[in-house]
Amino acid sequence: MSHGHSAALEAHLDTANIRLGGAGLKARRLALAAGVVGIGASVLLGGAYGGEHGIFLIKSWLQVFLLVLSASLGALFFVIIQHLTHAGWSVTVRRPAELIASNLTWIWVLFLPFVVMAATGKLGVLFPWADLEHLKAHAPGEYDLVVAKSAFLNQPFFWIRAAVYFLVWALLARFYLKGSLEVGETGNVAVEARLSKWAGPSAILFGLTTSFAAFDWIMSLSPGWFSTMFGVYFFAACATTGFSTIIICCLLLQRSGRLQGLVSAEHYQDLGKLLFGFGIVFWAYIAFSQYMLIWYANIPEETGWYLARQIGNWPYVSLALLFGHFVIPFLGLISKWPKRMPQFLMLGALWMIAFAWVDFFWLVMPTIPHELAEAADYMAIVEAYRDAPTGIFNPINLTMTMGLVGIYAWATLNRLERYPLVCRRDPWLQNAVAFENM
Amino acid sequence: MSTLPVGMGGSGIAPATIGGEIDNTGSHPGRREPLVLGMDTFGEVTRTVCRVTEAKRPPFAWYIAFGLSVSLVGLLGFCVLYLIATGVGVWGLNNPVMWAFDITNFVFWIGIGHAGTLISAILFLFRQKWRTGINRFAEAMTIFAVMCAGIFPAIHVGRVWVVYWLFPIPNQMEMWPQFRSPLLWDVFAVSTYFTVSLLFWFAGMVPDLATLRDRATTKFRQFAYGLFALGWRGSNRHWHRYERAYLLLAALSTPLVLSVHSVVSFDFATSQLPGWHTTIFPPYFVAGAIFSGFAMVVTLAVPAREMFGLKNLITLRHLDNMNKIILVTGCMVGYAYGMEFFIAWYSGALYEKFAFINRAFGQYWWAYWIMVSCNVITPQLFWFKAIRTSIPLMFILSLFVNVGMWFERYVIIVTSLANDFLPSSWDRFIPTWVDIGTMLGAFGLFFTLFLLFCRFLPMIAMAEVKAVMPQADPHFGEDHGDHDHAAKGSHA
Repeated sequence: MSHGHSAALEAHLDTANIRLGGAGLKARRLALAAGVVGIGASVLLGGAYGGEHGIFLIKSWLQVFLLVLSASLGALFFVIIQHLTHAGWSVTVRRPAELIASNLTWIWVLFLPFVVMAATGKLGVLFPWADLEHLKAHAPGEYDLVVAKSAFLNQPFFWIRAAVYFLVWALLARFYLKGSLEVGETGNVAVEARLSKWAGPSAILFGLTTSFAAFDWIMSLSPGWFSTMFGVYFFAACATTGFSTIIICCLLLQRSGRLQGLVSAEHYQDLGKLLFGFGIVFWAYIAFSQYMLIWYANIPEETGWYLARQIGNWPYVSLALLFGHFVIPFLGLISKWPKRMPQFLMLGALWMIAFAWVDFFWLVMPTIPHELAEAADYMAIVEAYRDAPTGIFNPINLTMTMGLVGIYAWATLNRLERYPLVCRRDPWLQNAVAFENM
Repeated sequence: MSTLPVGMGGSGIAPATIGGEIDNTGSHPGRREPLVLGMDTFGEVTRTVCRVTEAKRPPFAWYIAFGLSVSLVGLLGFCVLYLIATGVGVWGLNNPVMWAFDITNFVFWIGIGHAGTLISAILFLFRQKWRTGINRFAEAMTIFAVMCAGIFPAIHVGRVWVVYWLFPIPNQMEMWPQFRSPLLWDVFAVSTYFTVSLLFWFAGMVPDLATLRDRATTKFRQFAYGLFALGWRGSNRHWHRYERAYLLLAALSTPLVLSVHSVVSFDFATSQLPGWHTTIFPPYFVAGAIFSGFAMVVTLAVPAREMFGLKNLITLRHLDNMNKIILVTGCMVGYAYGMEFFIAWYSGALYEKFAFINRAFGQYWWAYWIMVSCNVITPQLFWFKAIRTSIPLMFILSLFVNVGMWFERYVIIVTSLANDFLPSSWDRFIPTWVDIGTMLGAFGLFFTLFLLFCRFLPMIAMAEVKAVMPQADPHFGEDHGDHDHAAKGSHA
């Protein structure tokens, strides 16, 4: 197969075009510095204020951790689907996706603060079910509900599950990266066939682990609340950040003179379509369906979660999400030309990551008022929380984002530097380079 | 045809076969298997497809199938007339179970339609070229299925002569439907769906109708096909307009794939009834609809390709791909069943927990386990390629899915209603002969329409199939079988 490449394609596979080399060095240093400074500043800010800010600090960590995690999970989903469907068009953008996904091999490190919290008996600050005594004293109504589900929401099982998720993700990401690297070296179609063969089971493992991770790490922040759709919602969020990150990564690589002649407007149009379809429209479909059904049925067990996002200053965040995560990007990316124009697509992808950040902020930060169970009516709660702040202007938001995203970017750049940027002997490479939208 | 021409992806040697059919299901990284077998020219495609409608008589099996189906339509007519003349009391409905076979059939048929829309719209946007072999009759199936579905809400209202009240028609009585009810949204969703599907189906068929017109040998055929071919001449400008319209209709149909069954799921999920009110319903219903729809496409495609000699156009690869989609959507449905059960427990809601345990182990346990077996367990056999490519086995499994998906709706509707909050009002639904007759009659109507379609309209989108043949490539024939082929034609 190796002799099958045309001369033009061989030229594009030159080392200078498919290795990052020293080009990312400055960016890498900058990312690492931002990461260290950001995390340090966050801890200082959180520690200095103590109390409220301490809780905000750890919630903020969880929020941004979920943001970077979702980017890798979204990229992993992309890779699995390409193999599952024997896709030909995507080979030239698949390696960056594989490298973004391969962050899943170390991402558990960012989960360690929660281990520390558990070790010091403080996990209940974040997850109310982890401190039943406290819950019993402060919210007896919710306590009864939470005790009933303690067979699932208990610390040993929580940690076992977390370990399983991280292990499955790391193995999947490694499996697909290693296989792809091998195909890139040898052009061995048997390896390619193996990757496709395991794509089905991989997709199932991916679906189950992400769903339950969403239950564990987001839904159980309000342990009384439940929604069967929640795993799908998190999946949609992963699609948003995953596709956006792949787009940004490819655009930046091309800006630094790499992947020339390999990735074209055609590929960006397709990645843009996927971002549009899954990250914008499907997300809105799921978010709307979940909200509409709970709003319409109006059962108190369920509505509290949305009430927490409608009181105080939260409506502004909720509406920002509606317009920023759906209406505006929907109009912005629906046409063909914005998806094919690098500057515009870059703006779109950055915009979507910004609103994915808002989405996770909206998922993680609000707490359902404890007095809800005893309150005579909703309006009393609404009135009592009229001025409740959202914390969106807390400086920790900025420092924490800088910190964890910086570390994540640094690790990703390291990976981009270490490996070829394209699977050079992939049997579909020829097809991918020649690919055109109708 | 014992060998594949070199230019069609074959190597010139005799191809492997499965069960006597050419095996084009292999996955060879870097190379796609051909979608059209044993045909070197576009003319052969035209002749193969047109033969079905141009033959003097359809195959004998067609008459048998048609006779059976028309008899069932008679049964449908009789049951509906009897119902209208007598009242909905002729069904087995009772006080807690106020919806049963009627709405089960409605949701079942709406679901069946979804495969057609997915194939024609979403698979088009995903550039799945294999869709061209099956899209036409899958779209026809969509339209007929929606017609069957439409019967049930219309007749279940009882006073069917005022059924137009479903629509918000201005009237001097100042009477309007309840706009806040998902049942009304259903009216809009389903009628939009029907309209767009019909337009899409018809617009896509225009070039093929023109082909039939041009080949027609009798005055009547010339007139009839000519009328519906809308003066199509196949000019460059016609094709340009046609492709734009196709893309736009595909884009319009894509949200409909999601919206229609989501709205149908709202009929249940907006309520407060345990087992109905759960947030996963919209995507779960959509996945289920696609699942059942593809099963029905396989159920129809297997005999149709046999009966009309279309094995070279609806190949094993098409069937293999459809079976894969059945497997994927079957797993999604299984995911939804699992999530419902898990969250029913996790919610801590007493009634929710009861509803699900009652489904699995209560008076309707048998229906629940038919549903789980047919929808989640047996489709897992499609993991094995030998089963995905075995004609008899896929036919049987597709029938299982049809049965399972009918029971899914039955389980959702009847079990939740029969055992509601108040044990003193619990009851059991027992279908009457009218229930069963109407259900069978709807199948009769569906198959009658489908058989008529097969006989009189182009069953396969000839123009679209030709476009995915290697011969459609402007550079075809310049370098037979050379691996450099794609690179030379920069547009490839």
